[in-house]
Amino acid sequence: MDTNQTTVLQRCETRYFGQVEYDEASVLAFPDGIPAFEQYRRFLPLRQPINAPLVFLQSLSNPDVCFVTLPALAACPRYRLSIAREDLDALELETCRQPVMGSEVLCLTILSVEKNAPPTANLLAPIVVNLHTQCARQVIQVDSAYSHRENLPIRMAACL
Amino acid sequence: MRRRSGESILIGEDIEIRIIHIGPSRIKIGITAPKSIAVNLKEVKLVREENLAAAQVRSVAAFRGMLERLIDGPEGDGI
Repeated sequence: MDTNQTTVLQRCETRYFGQVEYDEASVLAFPDGIPAFEQYRRFLPLRQPINAPLVFLQSLSNPDVCFVTLPALAACPRYRLSIAREDLDALELETCRQPVMGSEVLCLTILSVEKNAPPTANLLAPIVVNLHTQCARQVIQVDSAYSHRENLPIRMAACL
Repeated sequence: MRRRSGESILIGEDIEIRIIHIGPSRIKIGITAPKSIAVNLKEVKLVREENLAAAQVRSVAAFRGMLERLIDGPEGDGI
């Protein structure tokens, strides 16, 4: 029998990268799923140097379901969280203040691409992960001024 | 249609929207509706639709060009 200390690698099929190995400890639990994908509760965050800083959120129950995300501060360097009390509570975070991105929570914004348009990030509803528990939730920040389709901060010089 | 705090609007027989409190920048409303009718913030619908669209991304190639041009975020952004 393996003990809890042993790292047991498992395998899963992914949408973009074929079969990958993962450590069970890295799995993110979404107790309420993700809106429109409520049936999928376990996602694996995949990072690759070639695609940094992108993080791919791969469903462990359906290989076809994978979200392409960017850490919120990469999508918007001045990003500020405004998570409602009930969402903080659901994530088992302190409800009297906003959590610190990076040390307390991982905050990812889902990217999407419309035909012939640059990708946009959903800054209205980031995926927030409690880094101590791996519990995650897509949080709709109704009090924020961010949109569900924000343009990304692209270097002007590179666009010329 | 103009309403004051404490007043209501009826939609059909079963749905009542009551203005509970009016603050400087937001109002509190109470909605009474049959269980068969989903009552959600509009943002919930937007996010559902956006998630469905995001899941349609065919390949990672669409993001490669973007990554090179992305302005670097500050250190310690939880990557």
